[in-house]
Amino acid sequence: MLKVKSGRNIRGLILHLLLMLLCTLMLLPFCWVISTSLRLPGESFKVPPSFFPTDFYYRNYLDVFSKFPFARFMMNSILVAVTTVILNLLVTTMAGYAFARIPFKGRNTVFMILLAGMMIPAQATMILVYVVMSKLGLVGSLWAIILPATINPLSIFFVRQFMMTIPGSYEEAAYIDGAGRVQIYLKIILPMSKSVIVMTSLLNFMASWNNFMGPLIYLSDWDQMTLPIGLRVLQGYMGTGSIGVILAGVAISIIIPTFLYLAGQKYFMQGMTLSGLKS
Amino acid sequence: MKENKKTVSVFQKKKRADNIAGYLFLLPAIVTFLLFIGGPMILSLGLSFFDYNLIQPPEFTGLKNLRKFLIDPQVRVSFANTFKFLLILVPVHCIGGLILAFMVSSVRSSRLKSVYRGAIYFPTIVTTASVAIVWAYLFGTDTGVINYFVRQLGGTNIPWLTNKVMVYITIALFSFWKFIGTAFLYYFIGLQNIPDVYYEAARIDGAGTLQVFFRITLPLLSSTIFFVIVTNIISVFQIFEEPFIITNGGPGTATKTISFYIYEIAFKQVKTGYGCLLAFSVFLIILAVTIIQFAGQKKWVTYDYE
Repeated sequence: MLKVKSGRNIRGLILHLLLMLLCTLMLLPFCWVISTSLRLPGESFKVPPSFFPTDFYYRNYLDVFSKFPFARFMMNSILVAVTTVILNLLVTTMAGYAFARIPFKGRNTVFMILLAGMMIPAQATMILVYVVMSKLGLVGSLWAIILPATINPLSIFFVRQFMMTIPGSYEEAAYIDGAGRVQIYLKIILPMSKSVIVMTSLLNFMASWNNFMGPLIYLSDWDQMTLPIGLRVLQGYMGTGSIGVILAGVAISIIIPTFLYLAGQKYFMQGMTLSGLKS
Repeated sequence: MKENKKTVSVFQKKKRADNIAGYLFLLPAIVTFLLFIGGPMILSLGLSFFDYNLIQPPEFTGLKNLRKFLIDPQVRVSFANTFKFLLILVPVHCIGGLILAFMVSSVRSSRLKSVYRGAIYFPTIVTTASVAIVWAYLFGTDTGVINYFVRQLGGTNIPWLTNKVMVYITIALFSFWKFIGTAFLYYFIGLQNIPDVYYEAARIDGAGTLQVFFRITLPLLSSTIFFVIVTNIISVFQIFEEPFIITNGGPGTATKTISFYIYEIAFKQVKTGYGCLLAFSVFLIILAVTIIQFAGQKKWVTYDYE
């Protein structure tokens, strides 16, 4: 009996050691980013490299704002991400509600066609969307990046899965009270879907915040650029001399999604769990 | 009788109302789907038969683009590179994510569990382009941080980004670090959703850890595994940012993927028609691979175990 227990303890210890090592390795690049972003410009490549801040040369953080339109990049990124999330949420929750709760004709067919959209690679639609955007004069506009992201089949799938778990009795009670579909959607289904709404919003926010290909093909003016593409251009400007400024930019670009994730983590996990993948 | 007729008509009325309501609620999704996914997909097949440069009107050239496609050496190179990435990255994510999820979910302490989960998932939420820039610095041959430690340990500089083989290992490491969180989280949640009774029953029967894993966990997780494999293959087919930012397709054309090539053709060289053909060919391959997977899943995927 004792032997079994100590064997289990050793195994548990090894498990913890492995996981701690792995987690350290996962977080180490961020430590390097932060410590190097706080170094003197000439010492970016100082050896031995340190994973903890040695200097506190915060000028890099000021320089990235004063030498480059970094504040504009951030504003653009926030504007694009927030607008995308709101529009996407409208499209996604309405569709999710229809698929989950309204027994209309052709429901499964439409749903399958929509899901098949997940197989269509972004490049396949991007060229044609670009042609249309260029005809509409939207090349160089943030709308060219926002609009195509308003539809996301995977989000609709998650929301539908979640809404299917809401008991029908709530709706029936509202029906008897004379509520219509719109009222049920707004007053019952949406408030009960908080966790899946937070989850898809976070996923879409991050997807938008990360979007690289869209800004790459549509945006060429400094004033219009979002963070990922702006940083990429910055990298070209800085060469290999001082990377402290770029890394300051990288650190700032990481802060917002991190904060949002930490704030929404509880609902995020709940939404993920409840919209489970058993279909 | 009269009563009965009335209920039928009420029922039919409700059915008709449901049909209308259903499609009204779907309207935004259908419109955006047609505008940004379905419509462009079909139109891009059409535009494959044209020469088009966005300025002059499209000129019908029949199968010219297709003939070019068949003999274009860049097509072969970029598809070959994409398949190399598939062979490396799909197992890395689908198996690596599963192992990590299994390890983390067997941690007893719920606080440590969420710390581990958070650390593994964290790189997934940060901006890909930003951290890809960081990796290009970390893995530099002469000034990179990684090679500094390699030298300290008595080794010589490793050509992380300049050797045709090493560069795949470097990108695989990046991809693991950056994206393992996605597969990991799906598996982790799948594991949480397996009812405890199965494990209890196995324990009573005296099953060992490995036996439990292969006989209970894997079969009950098969639908999640299937989902992860399908979505992972689709996303690796589109791999673009990693080679674009970390290696710029290099060294030479060693990491030039099909997405990279489509970007060059359609947006750098503005050969819109040919770009559409390339993009459509990727879609057809993804479609075929996905259909094969769905046909094969009946043999190993179980749904509805509760």
